[in-house]
Amino acid sequence: MSFFGFNTTLPRDQDTGPAGSRGFFENPDPFAEVARASALEDDDAIDFEDTYDGLGDQLNDDQDEFNDDTFGGGDTAPAVGRDFDFFGRTAQVADAIGEEHVRYTLQNPQAAPPAPLHAHVAAHPVAESTKRTGYEKYSDPGYIPDLQAKSSVWGLSQKKPEPSPAPMPAMPMPSRKMMMSLEEVEAQMRNRGQAFGPIPTQSIPQQMPDPSYMRHPQDFPTLPDGFPANIPRNSSEHSLRRVDCPRICRTLLQAFRSCMEARVLCLHLVQNNIPQNLPPQGPRHAGPPPAQRQQQMPPPPSRGPNGGLPVITNPQQLVHLTEEQRNAYLMEDAKRAKRNHKIFLLSRGNGLMTPQDKNFITRIQLQQLVAAAGNVADADPEAVLAEDFYYQVYSQIRGAPRQHPHQPLGHFAQTYLLQTGNRIGGHGNRRAFQGADNHMQRMQQQVQRAVEAAKAKPKNKQLIIEGSLGKISFSNAKAPKPMLNLKRPDSSEGARPKKVQSDLSTSDRKSLLGNIEAVYNALMSMEDMERTMPPPPEEGDTEAIQEHMEWRQQVQTLNQKLWQALKVMEPIVPNATTPHPFIAFLSYPKGKKAIPRIFRHIDQEQRVTILTMIVVHLDSLDVVRLAQHSGPGEAQLSVAVREAIDLFSLAVMPSLLGYVNEAPFNIIIGLLGLVIAQTQVIHVARTKTGLGILTMLLSRAEIVKEAGQASERDWQQWVEKFNVLFDMLEPGLAHIFPGSINSGDDMYVWQFLAAVGIGASPEQQQRLVIAVKDRVMETVGYSKTLPADMSSQRLGNVNLFMRAIGLDVELLG
Amino acid sequence: MADNEDAGASVSEPLDLVRLSLDEIVFVKLRGDRELKGRLHAYDSHCNLVLGDVEETIYVVEEDENEEETTRTIKKQEEMLFVRGDSVVLISPQA
Repeated sequence: MSFFGFNTTLPRDQDTGPAGSRGFFENPDPFAEVARASALEDDDAIDFEDTYDGLGDQLNDDQDEFNDDTFGGGDTAPAVGRDFDFFGRTAQVADAIGEEHVRYTLQNPQAAPPAPLHAHVAAHPVAESTKRTGYEKYSDPGYIPDLQAKSSVWGLSQKKPEPSPAPMPAMPMPSRKMMMSLEEVEAQMRNRGQAFGPIPTQSIPQQMPDPSYMRHPQDFPTLPDGFPANIPRNSSEHSLRRVDCPRICRTLLQAFRSCMEARVLCLHLVQNNIPQNLPPQGPRHAGPPPAQRQQQMPPPPSRGPNGGLPVITNPQQLVHLTEEQRNAYLMEDAKRAKRNHKIFLLSRGNGLMTPQDKNFITRIQLQQLVAAAGNVADADPEAVLAEDFYYQVYSQIRGAPRQHPHQPLGHFAQTYLLQTGNRIGGHGNRRAFQGADNHMQRMQQQVQRAVEAAKAKPKNKQLIIEGSLGKISFSNAKAPKPMLNLKRPDSSEGARPKKVQSDLSTSDRKSLLGNIEAVYNALMSMEDMERTMPPPPEEGDTEAIQEHMEWRQQVQTLNQKLWQALKVMEPIVPNATTPHPFIAFLSYPKGKKAIPRIFRHIDQEQRVTILTMIVVHLDSLDVVRLAQHSGPGEAQLSVAVREAIDLFSLAVMPSLLGYVNEAPFNIIIGLLGLVIAQTQVIHVARTKTGLGILTMLLSRAEIVKEAGQASERDWQQWVEKFNVLFDMLEPGLAHIFPGSINSGDDMYVWQFLAAVGIGASPEQQQRLVIAVKDRVMETVGYSKTLPADMSSQRLGNVNLFMRAIGLDVELLG
Repeated sequence: MADNEDAGASVSEPLDLVRLSLDEIVFVKLRGDRELKGRLHAYDSHCNLVLGDVEETIYVVEEDENEEETTRTIKKQEEMLFVRGDSVVLISPQA
């Protein structure tokens, strides 16, 4: 016996002959060797053999002969029965049982027992099978599991998928009667001895889960006392008791102990065929006379579609039925099978999600709804705007179908939520409806709370821990953590006057840009104000009128702010080296772009002031000053200037034109006078912008004249001014055309000439023709070399002018 | 929006200077030896920028056989460009 190859022979053993003769473990005393070794004070260490008792050697390892007797193995021994394997056998038919169960609950959803004795059963109507409902009910704190749902497990109905035993006195089952649980035997004995003694409470758990009883309470009340046909029930009960389910029962036990005691007592009475003279229960069980029992018993009062048919639990029963009943039964059976199949198909995916999963999904959906639509209770349009400003403005610009996008969405969310609640409730029974309803309510409350919490959070932007030196800033998507904590001057009013003064003195680029930003700020707040315009007040609604007045006041304030920022009213300094602030404002593209927006928010007087300002400074406008071309053949203007001119005619001109088209005649006369007096007409006329403004004024005058709106005195004044203008223009008329003849961009010039031509006297028209005759001839000649469409375009332009003075290009041949 | 009401023309924080250059041509220096020149359409607090009509200049340093470094520039023209703020080194108005 050498572990790891050591030589395990003791020194003292080496001379004592062969060790095998006595065996290593001959000595039964396990410590004898140790004692001896220590007594001898052998310098050798204690060996394994010294300490090992050797008992293992005495084991008899080969005495397996009786194993088979003991454990029932071996070939000759009979196979072990599986009587004990209740669950396994039940599981073989579990599917069928489950389906039957679903069918039954669907068919018989409101099985209300008639007898008050079983009222407690009615309080928990038959629930759907576990397969259908998942575990939803467990989320209800008040939920007490329904025992019926699991009844298939109890081994009750292996052979009776429809577990509603119709008591048949003709078919006793004595064999089953043999199997009784200990409790039953005890109870029987007790009952025999003293029939009405109280039942010990321990027995109750076993009595409770009686599925046949629970599920078909209606069967029971019809059982009169001492009715002999209780054997099937008993048998099922017996089989039930073989499987214990104390865990589920325990919950029920508390609630129904008293009822159960009474019931169990009654059950035992019935079971033992004791003719019942039990005073309190007698009346309740008073059934029909025995003669009627046979028909009355099997058909339960409410069976749904199964209505008047007896429940067949045994093929033999069919024999006893009439032909009609049998046919009806078979039809019913077929229907049931069909329905079962359908239910099976529908319920394939059932139970895949746990209740937690479902809650999770529902919560996400609700949160999305709330986030998308805003809180229903939150009616603040400002919040909506702040949330999604650009979308709101965009939808406004695009002619949004709804004025308040918030409202319909909230409504939508509400509808959706309600619909969901109905849908869930609609299919279930009353209990499920309540459960779902509660669930939805709780979910809504939860979401609301979450949203409120999220809203409340940003208010605390900083956390200062006591004793610490710094602050902890919270941040979120809406309010990013401020990286720089700059203090804004509390009174911006105080800082401003100084600024304005400095603006006046140094009209440099930076301050100009600052002015522009100030204008845009004012514009944006005005546009913001426009959105919050209260509805037009109704007659007599003082509050609304008040509100409207306040709003108007605010708008007026903002208007003044905008007007000041525009600096239109800055004094005009003659011969100043720096342009007027407003003209400088217009020299920036963003200044030009602001004009249409500004015009929407200012009154007519302010508009005419702006127009006057532009006209007075016409030749110092960048689009005029930089756009001088001294005549045909000159080099093209720079890209920047051309862009500026285009922008001016796109952004500024329409606004001015919009005003001029409605301006009174005297203002037009005044403006023309300003052009003549304040600007160098020749220079102005060489620019597209200048000509555009002149054309605008001239054509408006012509329209007023045509409409006969001009008084004689006004018209005289106008003609006077026009004559002066014409005289100033005439020498330069040949040079107002931009570029060479082939540049093509001269339509505005022809438009201007047409406007001049219409208002001109015949003598002036003649001078006009002479002045531009060359250009007309050149264009006509040039157009002949062009493709047809371009040619007709050019000729059309010329014709604008020609027709104004009563001629036509065609006449030129 | 409403916050900016009073910021107005007065410059109270660095980015207000950038605001003055909105819709103007700006010169932007980026990390990785790149420069941009274009019209500033939009910016935010991270210096993310949207530029229009941008000319991008990339400086590439190359070493030839004599180990002499030569700088090569690559120019690109973009109609519209979004610049992520973390690469912006400098923004300058280009008068």
